Amino acid sequence: MRILIVEDEPKVASFIRRALEEESYAVDVCSDGIQGRDLASEVDYDLIILDLLLPGLPGIDVLKAVRDAKVATPILILTARSKVDQRVKGLDAGADDYLTKPFAIEELIARVRALLRRASGDTAGILQIDDLVLNPISREVTRSGQHIDLTSKEYALLEYMMRNAGRVLTRPMIAEHVWDLDFDTFTNVIDVYISYLRNKIDRGHTRELIHTVRGSGYTLKLTDV
Amino acid sequence: MRANTSIRVRLTIWYGGGLALIMIFFASALYVVMSRALQDEIDRSLDEAAVAASRSLEEHRFGPFLLLDDLTQAFPELALIDKFFQIFGPQGQVTLQSANIKTRNIPLSQSALQSTLQGRAIFETVRFHDEIPIRLLSYPIRHGDTLVNILRVGASLRPVEEMLARLVFVLLIGSPLAVVVSMLGGWFLAGRALRPVDTITLTAQRIAGGDLTQRIETTSKDEIGRLASTFNDMIARLEASIRQIRQFSADASHELRTPLTITKGETELALRKPRSPEVYREALESNLEEIDRMSRIVEELLFLSRADLGEVQVASEPVQLDALVQEIQLQAMVLGKEQHVETTLGKVEPLQVLGDEWRLRELILNVVDNAVKYSLPQGTVQLGLTRHHGMARMTIQDQGIGMTPDEQRLVFDRFYRTDAARAHAQKGTGLGLSICKWIAEAHHGTIDVTSTFGQGSCFTISLPLLPAASVA
Repeated sequence: MRILIVEDEPKVASFIRRALEEESYAVDVCSDGIQGRDLASEVDYDLIILDLLLPGLPGIDVLKAVRDAKVATPILILTARSKVDQRVKGLDAGADDYLTKPFAIEELIARVRALLRRASGDTAGILQIDDLVLNPISREVTRSGQHIDLTSKEYALLEYMMRNAGRVLTRPMIAEHVWDLDFDTFTNVIDVYISYLRNKIDRGHTRELIHTVRGSGYTLKLTDV
Repeated sequence: MRANTSIRVRLTIWYGGGLALIMIFFASALYVVMSRALQDEIDRSLDEAAVAASRSLEEHRFGPFLLLDDLTQAFPELALIDKFFQIFGPQGQVTLQSANIKTRNIPLSQSALQSTLQGRAIFETVRFHDEIPIRLLSYPIRHGDTLVNILRVGASLRPVEEMLARLVFVLLIGSPLAVVVSMLGGWFLAGRALRPVDTITLTAQRIAGGDLTQRIETTSKDEIGRLASTFNDMIARLEASIRQIRQFSADASHELRTPLTITKGETELALRKPRSPEVYREALESNLEEIDRMSRIVEELLFLSRADLGEVQVASEPVQLDALVQEIQLQAMVLGKEQHVETTLGKVEPLQVLGDEWRLRELILNVVDNAVKYSLPQGTVQLGLTRHHGMARMTIQDQGIGMTPDEQRLVFDRFYRTDAARAHAQKGTGLGLSICKWIAEAHHGTIDVTSTFGQGSCFTISLPLLPAASVA
């Protein structure tokens, strides 16, 4: 899951980024309204965190521009203003949720999780394919009731694949949603991580869940034997 | 007068009471003057009659038996008047009296006898048995030194009494009526005069209810008009200062929110799970920075609010500006060392101003620090001090990032930060230049900025020169 933070205060952006990275999200940060608008329209983010007070272009205008460009990505606005009308304006301009500064970091993470869950059309919160279960809140993964230990990147990759179960996911798609802007797409890092995941999830099980789609990419699904 | 009765009632009562007193005095005086005048008139006619009668008696050679018919024949006008005559002998016995006296017995009084014996005429007023009062003149008629007869002329005072009664009647009815009418007039006038006061009261009540946008409508330039416009001025100032306070506290809470967000976020993030000492150290360092920033904001806010309330003392001593500028140039060299920003001196004239050296240093240092901060690396800041139109003009010219015209307009506003300032790593409070402006104005000076975006800014501080001691 890849998240864009548009926030001009570098230290605020920094701790939000570190907190989200700890939750295995890929995070990009930009500090300017215009750049934020362009990134949000060009890159397929899973979530955007947007400060309303921005240099270059006010947050509200970024919001409108992004929605005008038919980008449906969930947007969480951050506002330093406790005034109701500011939040109402933001929500009316297309924001999905808001947080008022100062906020609790756990609340921010919970809201991010809730927005991502709603966006993937899943209400229960727990992702399950066959006997593979992923709990996004505790970030616990089990197969046949057995706990599986994953690194942060492996977890992010698995969560993305489970949220898009059944779909063929190309390498650029995976790169865009699991890795951030610094990722070099010309490496075989994705294939390496897929093999790590296969080792941890499918090894020793009769039903394989991760499949290679020749010439395209990968998919996670339960195939009929 | 009770304190809670309205001014209108009080004015009316005072007005009516005053008029009533004047009326009483006037009526009494009128009565006295009138009765005196009427009596004088009677007395004069009695005197005339007596003189005429005595002359007639002389013509009759003081004959003891003077017929009244003769008298009325000689002086026909006497018969027409309501007068009667009596002639007494020297002992006071009636010898003759006119017919209109009828049977009434009007004896000569002792005092009249005494007076006439001494040759003096005397007036008396007598009243018999609640009847009409009569005015009497006893007039001695003498032949040589001997009193021959006493002539008495009398007249009824009835016409006088009637006249006076009518006067009293008119005064008793007329005066209260006049007082009542004038009180009604006074009530109406007081009401008219005081109506603007009621308007002011109503407006004041609405203002007290919290609506500070209310104003009293007034066009007149009279006392009430002046009161109303004074009141309006007061409310306008009150409204402005309350708006300022609201804006200020909104700005302050907004400004404190960012460092609070950072401190809270960094701390919560650090506490989420066990971390290495380095991570804790970084979190604490970041928090310390933010805490410093908050204390700076609070400190500067306090300074500005105290300045607004007029509680900040500004000394008034001669300050050698050129020395101050040279000193600050050395400090600026240190400030710019890391960025390789050099601060140079342009033309610096020896000038003295009257002011507070400590505050002036703060003012100049603040502006110079800004100039260094927003200079590009390898840039130069140039300080100048020249005499210009009787003012000491200090210029701080940088080759930094500059400002847009909008930014130049707003840069002295509280909490205003340009986009560049917001993005700058070294966070300001947004209050520095507001404080500079306050200090300059407290010294009866000005601070301005001219700038070209991308090419640098020039701040100009103008302060009045110390008149006598300034050296050209």
